[in-house]
Amino acid sequence: MRDNKLKYLLVLPAVLVVFATAVWPLVESLRLSFTVGRLTKPNFPQGYLGWENYTWAFMEEPAFWNSVEVTVVYTLVTVVLTTLIALGLAMLLAPGGRFRGGVQTLLILPFAMSPALIGVSFRFMFNPEFGLFDAFFGIVLPPLADISWLSDPTLAFVVCVMADVWGWIPFLTLVLIGGLASIPQDTIEAAQVDGASGWRVFKDITLPQLLPVLAVVLILKAIFSLKTFDQIYMLTNGGPGTATQTLSHYIYFSGMKYGQIGYSASVAWVMVIPMVLLTFLYAKFVFQKR
Amino acid sequence: MTGKQKKQFWNAIQITLILIAAFIMLIPIIWIFLAAFKTHVDVYQLKLFFTPTFENFGTVFDSPYHLGDKLINSTIVAGVTVLFAIPIATCAAYSFSRFRLRFETSMLVMILATQFVPAVVIILPFFVMFRDLGLLDTRLGLILVNLAIVMPFAIWMIKGFIDGIPLETEEAAMVDGSTRMQVIRNIVLPMAAPGLFTAGIFCFIIAWNEFLFALILTNKDAVTLPIGLALFKAEEGDLWNLLSAAGIIIMLPMFILALIIRKYFVQGMTMGAVR
Repeated sequence: MRDNKLKYLLVLPAVLVVFATAVWPLVESLRLSFTVGRLTKPNFPQGYLGWENYTWAFMEEPAFWNSVEVTVVYTLVTVVLTTLIALGLAMLLAPGGRFRGGVQTLLILPFAMSPALIGVSFRFMFNPEFGLFDAFFGIVLPPLADISWLSDPTLAFVVCVMADVWGWIPFLTLVLIGGLASIPQDTIEAAQVDGASGWRVFKDITLPQLLPVLAVVLILKAIFSLKTFDQIYMLTNGGPGTATQTLSHYIYFSGMKYGQIGYSASVAWVMVIPMVLLTFLYAKFVFQKR
Repeated sequence: MTGKQKKQFWNAIQITLILIAAFIMLIPIIWIFLAAFKTHVDVYQLKLFFTPTFENFGTVFDSPYHLGDKLINSTIVAGVTVLFAIPIATCAAYSFSRFRLRFETSMLVMILATQFVPAVVIILPFFVMFRDLGLLDTRLGLILVNLAIVMPFAIWMIKGFIDGIPLETEEAAMVDGSTRMQVIRNIVLPMAAPGLFTAGIFCFIIAWNEFLFALILTNKDAVTLPIGLALFKAEEGDLWNLLSAAGIIIMLPMFILALIIRKYFVQGMTMGAVR
């Protein structure tokens, strides 16, 4: 067979799978977002509504705006915290050697842990009666013991952020170590010989050169923060009340628990838009690197 | 302080900080490991020293939990997903790597973009379709949707590996009269094998840890391990010792797989895998 036919034949199955499993459902959920779409009623999806689902979400649903707010704050806080801590840890671990290399290997473990399990383990640790934190504070800071972390809206949110940051630090650290390793050492050494302080070297040489890697990491983390679901579901299930209800969780609830597929599809599409922007930003960086 | 002392001092501070960080990173894992070997009573008494028991690992496989069924489901779903994904992705990756195609960049960006579509968006139509087709709560249904998260990632990762294989050997074989298919089979596949293996393990981990699809599409027969965790919620609260034992059964195989492919972990993750 000639190459110019073969090359398309080789791509065909993969493109078909991607179309069937990702492109089709995206388009189909856009269609559903304009329908009544009640799961429990006959003749699903029961005719078209136009933009009514969207206007309903925007005008009539405080729960929708609540989940937008939770998601935005959650994304900002987790992205900033994870990146800062990971950057510090990467600087500490970058020199390599047996000890630091060993710790780098350890970092892979939290990372292979499923987010759902991370949620479970944090719920366990923050249990007010026999959680690890309860015991810890009981010894170190008794006034803080016996706080029921997950029943307080603010504290529950803090615990969700902690679980997220914990789960993502290893990955970001490892990527940033890779970024640090690719910075040529001679400029840094030359600056040190000239008497530049450690902070100046970091600010004027390391940071600018790390910027492309840092950008990729930030966008990637933002994408994953925006769609957080698993941990939240296992840790607080959106509660107490709706204090930790992210957009994904809200979509899941209105669609699967209340059977409002049409409505939840419209909220899902509201979520797709920032995702598309971030993805194109990400694709731009990835293709630039090549 | 002299320069040397100062350096030693800084090094000591750094090592202390690294140790603290490493400890914090390991606490939740250690906590689960400890609880899995505790008796019900020891969990509630917060004991740090206790007589370890293997009882929990027996209990989770017994009635009414039957974690074994979930283990089988998870293994089949993740395994079959990988068996479909890797050959299909390899063909596409080779073509993207070696030929100029029409719409090549558009196709690659589209594939990359689908990786980032929130799972909760694409699951709604799948749920409706599977309900009509009777595919709810089946392993087949789960395998189909898992392909959605695994395929884009596998294509990108394998393409990266094939890009790294020098063209010369292939060209030499073509000059000697081999056909393209022979070249792929005899030269490219053996050289790309470590890459295919790594991508396969990666996809297996993703499918194994997948949560949202299984949560929505299964309820009894096809329940996978992460969803099975919900079993250990009793009326009196969570059964932490059993939850922890199940947690270990979920994460230990993934730890081993992750350590096997650790060199490629970062590279693979940047392509947008997992979660």
